Amino acid sequence: MAGKDHSDMQCNEFDALLSDALDKVLTGPKAQAFQAHASSCPICGPLLAEAEMGKHWLEQLVEVEPPAHMVDKILAATTGIETPGVHRPAAQVPWFERATGWAQGVGQFIVAMSRQPRLAMSVGMAFFSLSICLSLAGVRLADLRRVDLRPSAIRRGYYETSGKVVKYYENIRFVYEIESRVREFKRVTSPREPAPAKQERHPRNDSSEQPEQEHNHRQGNGQIILAASDSPPAVDLAWVKPATLRRNP
Amino acid sequence: MEEAQVTAQLIRRCIAGDAAAWEELVQRYHRRIYNICYRFVGSAGDAEDLTQEVFIRMYRTLKSYEVERGAFMTWVTTMTRNLLVDHFRRTKQERLTDSLDVAPSERDDAMPLSEQIRDGRPAPDARAQAQQLGDAVHRAIGKLSPDLREAVILRDLQDMDYKQIATVLKVPEGTVKSRINRGRAELARLLQRTYKQVM
Ligand SMILES: [Zn+2]
Repeated sequence: MAGKDHSDMQCNEFDALLSDALDKVLTGPKAQAFQAHASSCPICGPLLAEAEMGKHWLEQLVEVEPPAHMVDKILAATTGIETPGVHRPAAQVPWFERATGWAQGVGQFIVAMSRQPRLAMSVGMAFFSLSICLSLAGVRLADLRRVDLRPSAIRRGYYETSGKVVKYYENIRFVYEIESRVREFKRVTSPREPAPAKQERHPRNDSSEQPEQEHNHRQGNGQIILAASDSPPAVDLAWVKPATLRRNP
Repeated sequence: MEEAQVTAQLIRRCIAGDAAAWEELVQRYHRRIYNICYRFVGSAGDAEDLTQEVFIRMYRTLKSYEVERGAFMTWVTTMTRNLLVDHFRRTKQERLTDSLDVAPSERDDAMPLSEQIRDGRPAPDARAQAQQLGDAVHRAIGKLSPDLREAVILRDLQDMDYKQIATVLKVPEGTVKSRINRGRAELARLLQRTYKQVM
């Protein structure tokens, strides 16, 4: 508000009296000063007209009817079959109560099952099978401790196991390579033995200028060895690097 | 028995675990709460959800209401208003900015409000026209800022006095009056803008 003086009334004073004026509770000299200000102030005059109009329109609005089923829905959401202050609505049950309820359910299931000999037998067999599988995998239930189930222990176990698997794989590869080299060497040194039947050559679809030879790509520590079937075998054990040998006990 | 006494007795029965008393309380107040919500949020579906939320909260906190202090209406309205403010903040991003003029067909076919008001003859379908006017005002309320909107709803639609409104909104009475003035004036400007010429 501009705060200018119009007929002994300030704009902020006019604003404070505006709602009373529209409620028709403003009387006497104050009402006269109010009217005088409204007719002379360029801000408060239009404000009075607009506020009056807005009030008039708001009063035209009638109360709307709530949906018919609403009370039933509210009662179902609040009480259900319960009574206020006695029980909480189902949706508000805390997690630990739900967890307790769940555990009780599991307990009841186990108790009920132990009374059914056939079911108990099946569960027993399942457990037996599982323990056999675990013991074959090198896991002994008696060795399992709580400390092994910590994330750090699980992580350590994972790396140890994957390390063992890699070592096992490399050992097998090493043995396989030695065997194949020995076979090749035998074949070359004993000419009476017929060479293994050549694999039927399939015409290549691509037009690349590759020599017609069976490529046996073996990748050992980054080195590719081409075992050409026609040419004498290159007995090359260079790919068996000391590092690989060291890893094998 | 006076209204306040009836309500106080009803609440005591509710707290004691009387399901019938709770149902009566819901019957008595759901219309009012629904109307506040409907005028504030604008849509019937949201209003229904929010009304239900108000009663769920009321059900949980009824024990904390001090029956001796009275003013249950103010207590309930404050609870409703707080939920509406929460809802407003929650849905701030989702709201569309332009909704006053809504369906173009509705606007094009509608007789200008100024003509509706000036026209002294009995309307061919007075009820339909009243409905149209009501829709326009309802949409205009939705265009007001939340501060002004809640003030005019509580004063002009719920007939609360300035002191009660000041309690609900937690602001001085002078602020309440100022917001009501500005809310009414802004509403008139919005409707004038829509219908160009008025009264
Ligand atoms: Zn002024």
